[in-house]
Amino acid sequence: MSTSAQAEAIPASYTSLREEYDALTGAVGLVRRSHVGRLELTGEDALDLLNRLSTNKLEDLTPGAGMGSVLTSAKGRIVDLLLVLMLEDRLLLLVGPDARERVAEWIDFYTFVEDVTVRDVTPDTAMFSLVGPGAVALVEELVGESVATMPSYGVQSASLGGVNVTVVREDFGALPGFDVIASAEDGERLWRYLVERTSGDGARPVGSLALETVRVEQGVPAPGLELSEDYNPLEAGLLEHISFNKGCYIGQEVIARLDTYKKVSKYLVGLSWHGQDLPPAGASLTVDGKRSGVVTSAVSSERLGRGIGLGYVRKAHAEPGSTLTLEQDGAEVEVRVEPLPFR
Amino acid sequence: MQQMTRRTPPQPLTINISKDAAEHVRQFAAQAGKPDSNLRVGVKGGGCSGLTYVLDLVDGPGDNDKTVEEHGIELYVDKKSYVFLAGTVLEYSGGLNGKGFVFNNPNARTTCGCGTSFSV
Repeated sequence: MSTSAQAEAIPASYTSLREEYDALTGAVGLVRRSHVGRLELTGEDALDLLNRLSTNKLEDLTPGAGMGSVLTSAKGRIVDLLLVLMLEDRLLLLVGPDARERVAEWIDFYTFVEDVTVRDVTPDTAMFSLVGPGAVALVEELVGESVATMPSYGVQSASLGGVNVTVVREDFGALPGFDVIASAEDGERLWRYLVERTSGDGARPVGSLALETVRVEQGVPAPGLELSEDYNPLEAGLLEHISFNKGCYIGQEVIARLDTYKKVSKYLVGLSWHGQDLPPAGASLTVDGKRSGVVTSAVSSERLGRGIGLGYVRKAHAEPGSTLTLEQDGAEVEVRVEPLPFR
Repeated sequence: MQQMTRRTPPQPLTINISKDAAEHVRQFAAQAGKPDSNLRVGVKGGGCSGLTYVLDLVDGPGDNDKTVEEHGIELYVDKKSYVFLAGTVLEYSGGLNGKGFVFNNPNARTTCGCGTSFSV
């Protein structure tokens, strides 16, 4: 199965946005996520090399554990947010859907005499996620307690409906979540099994519309939108994925200086406005006629009854309650900075 | 008629070690109890600026290393590192304010504050 085919297999909606939104926020949403990049790293120097290239203290990882870590440029900008999972004999990296080649090339460029091999296993594997308040109980029922109670980014092998899978605890903002990864050939069989086992109790397959609405509500930054070389990890609020005492990595000097001297100039924030019209990604936000921010994501939230979004806003106006102006179709719309996640 | 011109072939870029640095390598090798060892120089990913220098006392070259000899010291460089080090002079900065071994690398576009890493 090709990756583009996998991406096309995610419908905007299966039933209705409302039902799917309710599944994610009140029960369990079953999501096709095979478009997420999956890279496998083998070789005894793999962890050491990644530790030198990214922000988190990966050298502390043990088999069965994982960490988020930001691949940063020498200027401290975000190349990609990696989820680094340590299996018994290799590392599995979950990377941005469009970042697979870039990340693989990045690692390859910085490999000199080290024993490291990168393999893109995205086309060979399928990935689904179970997200929502009922996800822990459902995973416990389907796979067992030890998997259901894994800490964040924990990873275990398991059998699910007769299919060998790798299960990863990856929450979606404040919502519990699990990723399930299987071979591509077992993918559709596993999907049908999951759909069958999750039907009822409000659990159901979820399309991209409901997922995007919940992503914005939860304040989860997305690759290519909130996570790009336009921003650094401090601006993007990725503090949990940065170690400030691990020593050097690419971009460390810039990030340490920004942190020490409080020089972070803008922050990722929640935004809301009245009305359901959605500004395009990249729309400017102004204060007193001066540009002070940019909208990176926008959705219409039925629950909140208004348009909401994510964006980067200059420090002076990034506190919740601040207001900015969005120019849309010749009219000025007032945009308010909101705490994340949206409540 | 086409005029014949004699073109001087470009000088191949190499890696050099200063006499002072070579003497210090000998001293360090003797102190380490490995007086016959030579020097592996290279680059690895990491450091604040992207690439960081590697300096090791070793017994001999690896399978795919280039070898450069100067002032009685053999320098071993793997081929990928060589791309980033060609033209470099390894020098020694001594004294109280000295930095020890210093890579004067013409390929380095920027270096980090402490000088141990660079980008190209």
